[in-house]
Amino acid sequence: MATLSIDKITKAFGSVMVIPELSLTVPDGEFCVLVGPSGCGKSTLLRIIAGLEPVNSGRILVDGVDMSDAEPPERGVAMVFQSYALYPHMDVGRNIGFGLEIARTPSAEIAERVRRAADKLRLSSYLRRRPRELSGGQRQRVAIGRAITRKPKLFLLDEPLSNLDAALRVGMRIEIARLKAELASTMIYVTHDQVEAMTLADRIVVMDGGRIEQVGTPLELYHRPANLFVAGFIGSPAMNFLKGRVATVQDKQATVRLVLGPTLDIPVSKPLEPGDEVILGIRPEHVLLSAEEHPDVHVVKAGVVELLGSDTFIHVRDGEENLVIRDSSGRVARAGDRIAISLPTSACHLFDKTGHRISENAPTRWEPIPAKARIN
Amino acid sequence: MRAEAVRAGPAAAIERRPASRTSTLYLFALPATLLFVVFIAYPILWVAGQSFYVRSGSGTSSFAGLANYVTVLGDPTFWIVVRNMLLWGVITIPVQMLIGGVLAYFIERHTHALRGFFRTMFFLPVVTSVSVISLVWVQIYAPYYGIAQEYLKHVGFVMMTSPIGDPKMAIYALVIVNIWQWTGFSMLMYIAGIANLPSEVLDAARVDGARGWRLAMHVIVPMLAPATKSLLLLGVIGTLQTFPIVHLMTGGGPNRASEVFGTFIFKQSFVLGDTGSGAALSVIVLVVALVLSLLQIVTLGARLTPAGKERA
Amino acid sequence: MTPLARSRLRSTVIHLVLFIVLGFWMMPQVYMLSIGLRTPAQAFDAALFTWPVTFDNFATVIRDNPLGGIFLNSLIVTVATVAIVVAVASLFAFACAILRLKGSLFLYTTLLTTLMVPLASMVLPLAILLRNFGWVNTYIGLILPYAALGVPFAMVILKSFLEDAPRELFEAARVDGCNAWQTYWHVALPLVRPALVFVTIWQFIVTWNEFFLALIVLTKAEMKTLTIVPMQYSGLYMANPGALFAVLTLIALPLILLYVLVQRAFVRGLLAGAVKG
Repeated sequence: MATLSIDKITKAFGSVMVIPELSLTVPDGEFCVLVGPSGCGKSTLLRIIAGLEPVNSGRILVDGVDMSDAEPPERGVAMVFQSYALYPHMDVGRNIGFGLEIARTPSAEIAERVRRAADKLRLSSYLRRRPRELSGGQRQRVAIGRAITRKPKLFLLDEPLSNLDAALRVGMRIEIARLKAELASTMIYVTHDQVEAMTLADRIVVMDGGRIEQVGTPLELYHRPANLFVAGFIGSPAMNFLKGRVATVQDKQATVRLVLGPTLDIPVSKPLEPGDEVILGIRPEHVLLSAEEHPDVHVVKAGVVELLGSDTFIHVRDGEENLVIRDSSGRVARAGDRIAISLPTSACHLFDKTGHRISENAPTRWEPIPAKARIN
Repeated sequence: MRAEAVRAGPAAAIERRPASRTSTLYLFALPATLLFVVFIAYPILWVAGQSFYVRSGSGTSSFAGLANYVTVLGDPTFWIVVRNMLLWGVITIPVQMLIGGVLAYFIERHTHALRGFFRTMFFLPVVTSVSVISLVWVQIYAPYYGIAQEYLKHVGFVMMTSPIGDPKMAIYALVIVNIWQWTGFSMLMYIAGIANLPSEVLDAARVDGARGWRLAMHVIVPMLAPATKSLLLLGVIGTLQTFPIVHLMTGGGPNRASEVFGTFIFKQSFVLGDTGSGAALSVIVLVVALVLSLLQIVTLGARLTPAGKERA
Repeated sequence: MTPLARSRLRSTVIHLVLFIVLGFWMMPQVYMLSIGLRTPAQAFDAALFTWPVTFDNFATVIRDNPLGGIFLNSLIVTVATVAIVVAVASLFAFACAILRLKGSLFLYTTLLTTLMVPLASMVLPLAILLRNFGWVNTYIGLILPYAALGVPFAMVILKSFLEDAPRELFEAARVDGCNAWQTYWHVALPLVRPALVFVTIWQFIVTWNEFFLALIVLTKAEMKTLTIVPMQYSGLYMANPGALFAVLTLIALPLILLYVLVQRAFVRGLLAGAVKG
């Protein structure tokens, strides 16, 4: 239970600057996910927070106290490592209680806390086993158990699910979500998997090249990506980017002519000149398929069609422009079909040449499920 | 060595780790460093210094420049030693590798239940005290009652005297004892190498049709190159420090015919009390060892120990 | 012939040849034991085996000689050396591989040159050094030089094992609150146990059988170790080979027995990565 403040830290490995200058505050009790492509510095940032990696400049504060030079236990962190890092020569119980043992906790209390953690993680019958006798999922739970017995102020998880197979990963994801509700400690979770980020996070920090690209709730990132990087990173399949040029600007409303053909009117927040190059983003699930041809729709030829059962992905290629359409209606298309599409302006994101968001609208379709539809 | 710790001070400060915390960590490296400085580095420097001094009868030493080296190099025994050391290395190293390698190959790839038994038995000479071995072989080589002359007679090899009493034969007789004692070591090194060969590569070779002799020569031998290189390096250093077998079996004789560096240094330093030429000899051996080792490390990428692995 | 029968035949032939080679290989040891078991009348027979056998020689030499004391000298020197080597080398390997202290790589390379130094070139200066320390005819006068000569090899093996261990384990220990000593003790040492066993056994063999330095440092009879006493027995029992070889057998036996007991662990350590191609 603690507020973490990262104040203008920089980090370099030799002459390679991995984190130029970064500040971030994670409020008490928040589940914060650091996400980004590999090499974006997210793991380094986590290790800096843990106290495993010294910073070149800047400060790390926990509850307002400068912890920049403190060892991990002084910071009150516990960590789940990507490879679990279980001690192979200790049994499960000792692995879980080792941190307490080092802290000279009375053995009765260690036993009690190990027992409680093991109960919570369904490990009680494995306490005498060695890590190599456990399955991947069990090892993962031991690693988590080791972290929670410490009652950490900061609970750090470094890609904890990446070594599990797909089926186990879903189960563990739900387990971590449950843990988050029970522990109510400040959690920082690193992943490259945006599904984990979206499902677990209170707030997501998207990183690239050692910089924070955007901080926000999952739905903010989904609906109002601040730039092309975030727009492309969040969402699967990734957002379509279509080249276009501003035709006219009137009353903070830009008329954009896409290379692909259609012309759209989109509200903008930044001044634009006719002739400016812009990029229009639209998520595959927001592209609508129309039954018939009329002036508002645009006809394209379907390329590769992927049938997933629940969804159909239609890939369209027109010159340099690529477009993916996700259709969940259950209709089936074939490669070569002529299909009519429309791009609803409320779901369109507009970015300038430098990649920054310039469209005004926030197409948040976030509304409560009506009471009648809820299952009690 | 303290300079290292001092240098770490400011560097650690850059990484903002309290200097006190890092400097105590140097306690981990301290004991090894102390042992090295007192018992390796200092003696080497001392012996290098002494090699330039001669001790007079009254016990005072005076600077003599290269006089000791001139004396040593002018001593005909020195050149007998050089010849013996060359013979020793040129014979023992490849023969041990060959016998050890063949044994390792058959034990590791063609035995199962008895593998541990063979590994252990062939290694026993290595763990048998060298002084015991030497006396046993003196008995074996003995004229009249030794078993060597008795049994070799039956295969048409008649020995009138003990081979270690014959100036022409002595060094070869000693080489045989050395080979017998240390082949088990080569075998174990190759066994470790063979056991750690990646099985995919061997499977791939079988798929490619390599079997038996061709598999051994074209796949296994080249892949054991690291073990071979280590054995070569260890063999060279081992040759240069040869002492007990010679000291105990012939004492360097007869008539200095089987003298090696070890026994020569021992005689000059401890029997004759001529520390000047003993020191010069020590330095020569040391320089030869360092030059040959570094040459192998640089040209072959050989390693000093059986340990470690190929690192890119 | 079916492939199965052919491979069985080949296996039988290979085993047969290995046994024959082993028979020749073991001849010196068998000969030693055989002479030790002879009656005085047969002692000079030029044969590998004689009949009948007698244990009189063993009884005589055990009764007449302080073998127990000599054995104890060897044991003290060897055990102390091994303990120092393992402790010092593992501390140093930990400093290099895990703590990565500044300058430790330079130190490591420097210490490695020890492995290229033949003992023959060290005996003279070591003898003078030990004389100046007043350590001639003391245990410590052998133990510390042996340790200094043994540490580099052990350190190479342990360092390579530690480098192969997952780094995250040591970070986990740090998060668990271990300081460097606790990490060394609770995590690093248990992790490299096979290597520790290997290094211990190898150092034991080398120290137990070391001859050159022992010959120079130990001149007093009551300090002598097992490796340097055979010489004096060869003079003592010149006319009685039966007794001489009984003594030699007794001197060689402890280490042979010990090796047979621990060879599994030794080879396991070797295979676990002491040699990797």
